[in-house]
Amino acid sequence: MSQTAAPSLPATRRALLPGLFRRGRARPREAQGIKASGFKGQALPLLLLAPQLLILLLFFFIPAIRGLAQAFLLQDPFGQEVHFVGLENITALLRSAEYRESLRLSAVFAVATTALTFSVGLVLAFATDRVTRGRTAYRAVLLLPYAIAPAVAGFVWAFLFNPLVGPAAGLLHALGIAWDPNRDSGDAMLLVILTASWKHLCYDYIFLVAALAAIPRSVIEAAAVDGAGPLRRFANITFPMIAPTVFFLLVMNTVYGLFETFAIIDATTRGGPAAATSILVYKVYVDGFVNLDLGSSAAQSVLLMILAVSLTVVQFRLIERRISYDVSQ
Amino acid sequence: MSATFPRRMILAAGAAALPLLRSRGARAAPREIRFWHAMSGVNGERLEEMTRQFNASQPDFAVTPVFKGSYDDLINATVAAYRTRTQPQLVQIYERGFMTMLLSGAVVPVQELMAAQKYEIDWGDFIKPIAGYYTHKGGLAAMPFNSSTPILFFNKAHFAKAGLEKPAETWQALEAQLRQMKASGGPGSIMADDYHWSWFENYSAINDYQYATRNNGFGGLDTEFTYNRTPVVQQVGRIKRWLDDGLLQVAGQGVAASAVFTAGRSATFIASTAAHSAMVAANGLEWDAVPLPYEEGRAARNSVIGGAVLWALRGHPEPDNAGTAAFLAFVAKPETQVWWHKATGYVPATNAAYALAKSQGWYKERPTQEIAVQQLSRGEPTANSLGYRFGNFTQTMLAQREEAERAFAGQKSPQQAMDDAVARGNEILRRFERLNAGRY
Repeated sequence: MSQTAAPSLPATRRALLPGLFRRGRARPREAQGIKASGFKGQALPLLLLAPQLLILLLFFFIPAIRGLAQAFLLQDPFGQEVHFVGLENITALLRSAEYRESLRLSAVFAVATTALTFSVGLVLAFATDRVTRGRTAYRAVLLLPYAIAPAVAGFVWAFLFNPLVGPAAGLLHALGIAWDPNRDSGDAMLLVILTASWKHLCYDYIFLVAALAAIPRSVIEAAAVDGAGPLRRFANITFPMIAPTVFFLLVMNTVYGLFETFAIIDATTRGGPAAATSILVYKVYVDGFVNLDLGSSAAQSVLLMILAVSLTVVQFRLIERRISYDVSQ
Repeated sequence: MSATFPRRMILAAGAAALPLLRSRGARAAPREIRFWHAMSGVNGERLEEMTRQFNASQPDFAVTPVFKGSYDDLINATVAAYRTRTQPQLVQIYERGFMTMLLSGAVVPVQELMAAQKYEIDWGDFIKPIAGYYTHKGGLAAMPFNSSTPILFFNKAHFAKAGLEKPAETWQALEAQLRQMKASGGPGSIMADDYHWSWFENYSAINDYQYATRNNGFGGLDTEFTYNRTPVVQQVGRIKRWLDDGLLQVAGQGVAASAVFTAGRSATFIASTAAHSAMVAANGLEWDAVPLPYEEGRAARNSVIGGAVLWALRGHPEPDNAGTAAFLAFVAKPETQVWWHKATGYVPATNAAYALAKSQGWYKERPTQEIAVQQLSRGEPTANSLGYRFGNFTQTMLAQREEAERAFAGQKSPQQAMDDAVARGNEILRRFERLNAGRY
């Protein structure tokens, strides 16, 4: 990569990067780049953080601690009988074949939705650069799914792909594909993956469009003049320059797949058939709110929380270190 | 939209009643009795109409119905409200939540409440399978409200096209008919979402197969499932065979099973008698109904009920309890029962109500609404047909469905699936037993 051509980062791109990346590890004050903090002293930043921390305390830490406590109890829903059972709820889960299956399904689901959302989003974002006429319309259409409530999206997809009445299922049948998500576990999983990816696609798309737009034309043109083909330009210039966004999306997509797809699963398959789409977050709901098994549900939440934290830590440790947020001088 | 309309009507009715009350002198405003329910659509409107009738019938209490979503949502809301001491006076809880509510310590048994409030109710007149289901220690624990039982609806046109008059009485003969209809170009049948209730639970009761030890749980919390050693296993195999051969279809998400039937795209439909309202509303559908089939060589007995009951919650002052009792007495009246039965298709809860509906000639007009009552009182009830009393019943049922669906998809043999369902179910029962030891 050329050492001379990179100009300072445009302000728009700076604003697009999530706060996550601006905090980061302590650096010398004089360091340049977007990870450097502009604050002198600690009072003002703390004051600015206070409202957010208060909200976190009220709506995350207190409920989380109460949930944590329930994980070690066996109690009836109305709370008249409470037994302390130690780690029993958790060991029972780890022993249960259903829970391990749910864990496996969640992994499949999260990896598939992340990969699908990101790759299709990237292709569409690239295409946006090439579209000259009707670019606004193109972008608006792609952003529409994000405005649809997840439950509605789930219901629409369930209808479209319903083997009895759905037009999309009818098309598949006409092509000779035996499509039946009501009975076949694989079909059901595919359906929820497609629904969840479709719903989340525009999120990746908008971030990638913005990231691509922020790459200075001059750099790419210089590379083209130097004789780099499109693939080479992507691998050596474009991708490294959008790497922070890619990393951010990777984290967000995983979080989305694991934790925010409850409504879609509930509307599309209700976790069925034969629990084939009952991913961890859906199982937490069913065990807690349908089966009223609060202890097990809380234990599952705790395990889910541990999983989320460790996944994010791993992602930061393994990947973030290879990303440069700095613009070399 | 439809749910908000009646509420507005209540407000309007309340506003209209206000000057009336004032003119009677210094009467206080009626005491509010909050009633949480889970009836949506047409039946929800009927329920609100019933509360309006009650409110208009007396000046002291005003029952306010609040729709809380599905039965699952409702029991959750009840738990949450009770824990924060904001519970309503009355809640409608589905039959599967019976043990949870009974042993919750959060309820006043209805028969006790009514006795304390000096209401004379002929408890002996409640239809046996209904009373039996909800009676504990000699008294009804909750007020029967919307009781149903599955029956077999069928499309007359599809049967006629295959040269058949109506569904056969046994499963074996019915299967032959379904094959004949399929061969003559007819559609398969649609399976209701709550198939476990009709195809496993009612199936066992009607054919007198043991479902669990200790009289299906009536005898004690140490009950254990045994349906993996009964023809329920063959029944799972039958469903799989029917699904494989296109005789049966799963509606799944995105479309309601009843809509598939009312659209004329299903030969038969085994569903709750409450589906009557959907049948009546369907245009140009030639339908009829018969009792559920039974196994060849067995004597068909009574089916078991489903639906929900009204529970009076603890923690309310005496005048509130009086209001709750007044409303429950209104619900138990034969006139209310008959009105509700006609309006919704649910079963009348008392013999008096059944006799009244009959004397009014209702069953000449709607013969299919009598099937459920007759089916519920068919034969002499045995220990296997009285009903089911399991703790965490929703959880054991969901585990059973999961395993059955593995068999439907061919991932397990029916025997293996039911063995696993029973093993999982028993573990769940033991959890309930441990928490509630000594309380039943």
